[in-house]
Amino acid sequence: MNVRAVLATACALAALQSAMPSATAQEKSLAITIYADDLALVQDKRPVDITGGRQRIEFAGVSAQIRPETVSLSANGISIVEQNFDFDLLTPAKLMEKAVGSVVTIVRVNPATGQETTEKAEVLATNNGVVLKIGERIEVLRDDGLPVRVIFDRVPENLRSKPTLSVTVDGDRRGSRPATLSYLTSGLGWRADYVALFDDASSKIDVQGWVTLTNSSGTTYDNAETTLVAGSPMRAGQYDSSPYGRPQRPQLVAAGTETGDRERLGDFYLYPLAERTTIANMQTKQVSFLDVHGVPARHGYEFRNYWMGTQEEPQSARTVYRFATGSAEGLGDQLPAGVLRFYMRDKQGDPQFIGESTIDHTPMGSTLSVSTGDAFDVKVKPVVEKREREGLRRWRTTMKYTLTNATPRAVTVTLQQDGLWGDTRIQSETLRSTRPNADMAEWQVSVPANGSSELSVVFDSSY
Amino acid sequence: MRLARSGRYLLMAMAVLAAPAAARAQDITASAPVDVSVTVYRDPYRSAGGFDLDNLNGFALVTETRRVVLTPGQHRLRFEGVADGIEPASAIVSGLPTGVIEKNRDAALLSPAALIEAAEAQQGRVRLSRTAPNGVTTRRDGVIRSGADGGVVVETPDGVEALRCSGLQEMLSFEASRTGLSAKPTLSVFTRVNRRIEATVQLSYLARGFDWAADYVVSLAPDGRSLDVGGWITLANGNGAVFPGASVQIVAGRLNRSSGEIEPIDYGRPILARCWPRGSTSDTPDPVYIERAYPLGFEPWRYEGRVMAMPAPMAAMAPEGAMDDRQLIVTGSKMAQQEDLGDLKLYRVPDRSTVSSRQAKQVRFIDSTAVPVKRIYAVDTYPNNTTGFSPMEVILRTQNDKASNLGIPLPAGRVAVFETAGAGASARRLLAGETSLRDLAVDEETEFSLPGGPAVQFRQVTESRELAGAPPPLIAGQTIRPGARFNLADRIELTNAHPFPVEAEVKVYLGYGEELVRSDREPEQKDGRPLFRITVPANATVEFRYQTVGYD
Repeated sequence: MNVRAVLATACALAALQSAMPSATAQEKSLAITIYADDLALVQDKRPVDITGGRQRIEFAGVSAQIRPETVSLSANGISIVEQNFDFDLLTPAKLMEKAVGSVVTIVRVNPATGQETTEKAEVLATNNGVVLKIGERIEVLRDDGLPVRVIFDRVPENLRSKPTLSVTVDGDRRGSRPATLSYLTSGLGWRADYVALFDDASSKIDVQGWVTLTNSSGTTYDNAETTLVAGSPMRAGQYDSSPYGRPQRPQLVAAGTETGDRERLGDFYLYPLAERTTIANMQTKQVSFLDVHGVPARHGYEFRNYWMGTQEEPQSARTVYRFATGSAEGLGDQLPAGVLRFYMRDKQGDPQFIGESTIDHTPMGSTLSVSTGDAFDVKVKPVVEKREREGLRRWRTTMKYTLTNATPRAVTVTLQQDGLWGDTRIQSETLRSTRPNADMAEWQVSVPANGSSELSVVFDSSY
Repeated sequence: MRLARSGRYLLMAMAVLAAPAAARAQDITASAPVDVSVTVYRDPYRSAGGFDLDNLNGFALVTETRRVVLTPGQHRLRFEGVADGIEPASAIVSGLPTGVIEKNRDAALLSPAALIEAAEAQQGRVRLSRTAPNGVTTRRDGVIRSGADGGVVVETPDGVEALRCSGLQEMLSFEASRTGLSAKPTLSVFTRVNRRIEATVQLSYLARGFDWAADYVVSLAPDGRSLDVGGWITLANGNGAVFPGASVQIVAGRLNRSSGEIEPIDYGRPILARCWPRGSTSDTPDPVYIERAYPLGFEPWRYEGRVMAMPAPMAAMAPEGAMDDRQLIVTGSKMAQQEDLGDLKLYRVPDRSTVSSRQAKQVRFIDSTAVPVKRIYAVDTYPNNTTGFSPMEVILRTQNDKASNLGIPLPAGRVAVFETAGAGASARRLLAGETSLRDLAVDEETEFSLPGGPAVQFRQVTESRELAGAPPPLIAGQTIRPGARFNLADRIELTNAHPFPVEAEVKVYLGYGEELVRSDREPEQKDGRPLFRITVPANATVEFRYQTVGYD
């Protein structure tokens, strides 16, 4: 037997096994493109048998959250007459409702003897109770409460256990040909999850990136070629990175300007999965897309004070990790939006979780400054020492910031005083400040190991 | 399917033949955990108080070590019995020599609804058993045509019928062949190996439904000059999973959490025997539930009765009331070991311990005696305000340093303060008050503030309010004179009914541009505010005045 014959036999066998008579496995293909916004494009390529003339083609196994208005079917030599999305589900009640006017078999069971009596009955109505016509008599089904089985000959055509798409087409000639069904659906989504292991001794991070797919669309997609689009074509700003109850701090310190080698779709990057995969319903699936080691990262502290903020209890500074996403000394990739989880090894060498933060879609070559939480041992106590009136519309405010460090090594805290609106000036300060913007002054305060530092600043303002 | 793409006809043909099976990799179940580590993190949004056992909003990092044996080929390696609160996106699998192709968490668990769904999707044979009232059972094989909307339609050689609509006792049994459903929450990874491998794999993930709290017990010495501090860590697991012989850590400090909702585990919806309309000419029986798909007790908050987290175990305290199925385990009094974890604090429970499902566990983490303490009566006030007498707050103040027999990080928590009443044989230790601590680093000022009793009272009386100097000119169009200055005189009275002198601190809050110009007592400055330190003699009253200038 030659190779071709084997193939032919195999195809024939496969065809017999398969529910779809003409479908051969290598002709079927499913491609799914998932956007980061609960939106996916499904392209379902499969052979269809065209009988020539008008016919109805059913597509089982489409997404239960399909947006029927976006369905399109394309194949050579057919024209679409109409598309239907049947969501009439097969339930006992529907079965009975559709049987109105037709004849069913009823089996009465004698409770004492178990003896069965079979009769034919016509279903007259199903309004708040089933009314049957048996011979010349009319009765209500199970009016006496005694057991009566109702047996239907068949399931009506358009009742299905799952919503089903059907397309009526007009074919030019008889024969099987490939057709592509494409539609948009919700219920499929993805985001990125990053695992960053920070090594304190070398100030380096190892970062693994995973794309996380979720499928709640009600359908399983078998063996699909999957592409993820890092972007939300529908609306932007899905991920709000502002921590609860705190002033927003920018995470993206510098937006990158490097171009990666990833495929693009307009302004969005594409992340194709290396292998075909089965996305089961109610499944959370993760596939790796990034694995870099030994990227330099800087561990620092940040504290931002409101205008006129006095704290009677020292407040923890934020722990901040800063790293680059560029190709040199960085992660070397575009980062899709997601959650970045930081880990660190404890004294026994086991990785422990130390906090997380969401990041937005980040171009390559950016600098990210990500906060993981509060520092237990590094605290700042800002105090308004004096508030003097200089004139009708002029005030002099003396601030003292006390920074404490209970760790056994010296740290530097980026201290920010916000709210310097109007023409607020710094009259005097014990440490030179910078003004990252007109509203804010910033100091790099070094605090000795197990010690404290003080910073005094006099502001001259009109309020 | 990789083979099919290799382009070799024969292989392709085989792949086609095997098509339904080849899509599935071989299932291999990893061993039960041989080692478990649980690190519990507190609810980042909870204040210093205790937690609610029925609603644990903290989380844990669970690290499980499991053994696997892999034969050449592609495998779906299953980790069964992970915590039900797992955040699947946080899972990390390490130790597989060839790496992980993909990780999956299937939310659907084995349940009646899932069985029906699987049988319907796979068109598997089911057996319908029907028992007539006289006890005779008949069996028919068939397929499930639909399980939609909670109603079940079965097709047997007899025809199409609806389940449980005839009034006869009916049930379905399913083929024992694989349904692909697991009874316990399961995480699986795909991996491919080309030789036989025995590996030790580590699986770590974050899971919700844990929390911990610090509880301090402070005992004041009879002379009131020192106190003993004992602290317990109470950690709780609200998950259904048990972690036997685990190494247990807790992490103190506030860390960022930004994972939103996690995909809940699907325990299946209940199957209702929904039938056609059942109206009769007499009455209408209610639809009958045939199964409840929810396993009892899978959601901790569904339990009835809400008990707050237990305070630290104290001999002097009455035992907690009914604990229904909860357990409280006090693990000896070996101390938890503290170490730094980045900018957080990690406490290690000394011995391996079993973290059971729905259990709270306590371990000692601090035991300091003879901590010198000052008892201060404190009040905050502001000028231009007349008040009645009110008790002053009691502050037990110390410094968190070695000199004070402390000098260790103190995580935020509740504090129960006990004092001794009576003397000699009739001395009893009684609860004097409850307060809380914030996260305190070494060398920070440490204060336990308690509500005061009626013995030491404070009141302020505004004695005079006068315009200072000539009023400034009125600006046209404005009804209020800008910058009008007022002289204010306030009198403070402190009363002490104790037979011993007490230390009092009165802190004055000044508004924008307000200044303290004169006072009977010399003020200190604290936190940018004037502070009067006054000793009130035994059974005496102290009065003093202060003058401020303020702007209208």
